[in-house]
Amino acid sequence: MKLTNLELRWARVAFIAIYPGFDGLAGIASMDTDAFLVELCRVVPFKSAMGLRLGIWLVALAPLFVLRRFATIASLGAGDRERLIASLLMSPSYVVRQLVLILKTMGAMLYAGSAPVRARLNRAAPSKSGAQPLAQIRLKRATAA
Amino acid sequence: MSYESSRHPDEDLPEGAVVDGEALARDVDEEFDFVVVGSGASGAVAAYVLAKEGFSVAILEEGPWVKTRDFQEVVYEAFKRMFRDAGTQVLEGHSYMPLIQGRCVGGSTVMNSAIAWRTPEDVLDDWRAKFGLADTLGARALEPHFDALEHDLNVHAVDDDALGENNRIMLDQAAKDGIVASRMRRYDRGCKGTGRCFTGCPSAAKQGMSVTYVPWALALGARVFSSCRAEKVEIVNGRAVGVVARTTSTTPGTATNRRVHLRAKHGVFVAASTIQTPNILHRSGIRGAALGAHFQCHPGHGLGAVFDDAVHMSIGATQGAESIHFRKTDRIKIETISMQPELAAVRIPGIGAELMRRFDTFSNLGVWAMLVRSEAEGTVKPGWGGHDKVKFSLTRTDMERARKGCALVARMMFDAGAREVWPGIYGLPSVLTSPSEVRLIEEGPIDSRAYSFITTHLFGAARMGPDPRTSVVGLDFATHQAKGLYVIDSSLFPTNLGVNPQHSIMAVSRLAATRVAQRARMSGPLARRAAG
Repeated sequence: MKLTNLELRWARVAFIAIYPGFDGLAGIASMDTDAFLVELCRVVPFKSAMGLRLGIWLVALAPLFVLRRFATIASLGAGDRERLIASLLMSPSYVVRQLVLILKTMGAMLYAGSAPVRARLNRAAPSKSGAQPLAQIRLKRATAA
Repeated sequence: MSYESSRHPDEDLPEGAVVDGEALARDVDEEFDFVVVGSGASGAVAAYVLAKEGFSVAILEEGPWVKTRDFQEVVYEAFKRMFRDAGTQVLEGHSYMPLIQGRCVGGSTVMNSAIAWRTPEDVLDDWRAKFGLADTLGARALEPHFDALEHDLNVHAVDDDALGENNRIMLDQAAKDGIVASRMRRYDRGCKGTGRCFTGCPSAAKQGMSVTYVPWALALGARVFSSCRAEKVEIVNGRAVGVVARTTSTTPGTATNRRVHLRAKHGVFVAASTIQTPNILHRSGIRGAALGAHFQCHPGHGLGAVFDDAVHMSIGATQGAESIHFRKTDRIKIETISMQPELAAVRIPGIGAELMRRFDTFSNLGVWAMLVRSEAEGTVKPGWGGHDKVKFSLTRTDMERARKGCALVARMMFDAGAREVWPGIYGLPSVLTSPSEVRLIEEGPIDSRAYSFITTHLFGAARMGPDPRTSVVGLDFATHQAKGLYVIDSSLFPTNLGVNPQHSIMAVSRLAATRVAQRARMSGPLARRAAG
């Protein structure tokens, strides 16, 4: 199944709202979300790809139903996009939650799978108790090696 | 850290032992003593036993052979190449439940945590008393096979060096709470604690089938046909005589679509998993009320906890600590599960700025899970487009137990010093900050749609039993309807176990292959050859 350019654009906007980046680390906007989604739709079964497509359309058209605004997600500001997706993830409708969760999940595959993000997530955090657990000692050893 | 310099057991294989369906330029028609469908825990062990007994063996595997040197840390890459449906398979029912299965040489043993549990005796007693299995799968019958497997695969408890904080914290807390817990016993030969069990062990320390029984069987003369999907077992005059397969590819649309016809002189072993085995039998013309019925699993739900000190889930055994303290009373098992960032990110509460802020707590994050030995039964049927359709919904009692398990885990996390617990249960706050809030879980929803269950342990759908009206497989491991057609994976299990199933699957497979080989030796050409 192939996503249209419009669907790819909506998905990218949603991904950026979910994974905007933080504290010096670039967000998913710096990644090629289109290529990722095109390949994803090739390797997953049709039914799974349809779930992704439905999720994209749901998020794209949600301003109509959630905000009562004649707009797609692409025409909202960054803050509104974030609030919109957050509200969909907390929707009382199980199907709505699951469809939006597909986007969060697939975005995680791309974003958290990238080398800079993995390195950032796995970096040694300061110990609040002052203790130096085995894991930190081993991490330092591995880094030194 | 590089693991690329050493040679692994999945390299230097005998010439001609591996037929790669992705590169096959012609149809294949060959004859063997036995054909084994599936190269996972069950199929690999059976193939090795049969090859060791001197039989010619073909192993048929739907997925590719991804070698240790090609394992990548990135979850998406692993999903694409080694997981069924690229990791998007789900059980359908009252809620959708992701179902994780391997689709590569070695099957799910390539991406599981290599946890070894002998079949609990209460389960075996139940099978004998309620399902008429007599002593076919009794403790005494299985014991020598467990012994042999544990020797071959170097089963032992997680070493200090590979333990890691996520596992250590759980064990310490269980001890303080008086909960019986232990380091996991695993198939492990030199675990380096990279936390990468899920995407394939980069040092081949995990003794999965692709680095043990499959290459060992090939060294004894067996051959493996990878990227070849079994379409059906050929049954002529009530006897299995071969398997017809088609070549597949990990890149859709590029399969060469060659026909692979493997004839079997003595029989066909179907070891394709609880989902695929019943559907292969169905495509082969096997029918009956029990086929595809009585599917069971162990749904699991993970909770995250943020500690003051670093946990570093990327360091230490992916899964290294567990408790079956509540297995008999509440049908619950508790275990640790260190998640790679991509998988953990989905469970981190929030989106946008909130999600990003929480990313910085990742190194202090630990994940523990509860599994429920559910009573619910589902069905496995062929779906459209050649896919499998599995329907399964938890019962109210299952859900009450699952909720209790989640509350138990949350309480242990707080007691262990967690400053936040992420229950991942819809309708509850996404972040709990006080032990007093655990009561919210205890009083929380019992609707499965509020939870994020995942399942990996699968059972039933081609039950063993003496009565053809209520079972698919007889006490001799052959189907009631076709001679020489053996089912040897967990689809023959009458119930789930309450513990991780790989060890039981392998022991049952080893027992079945040994018995079938003995019978074939008594009656077949090997006996005639031996007689002169």
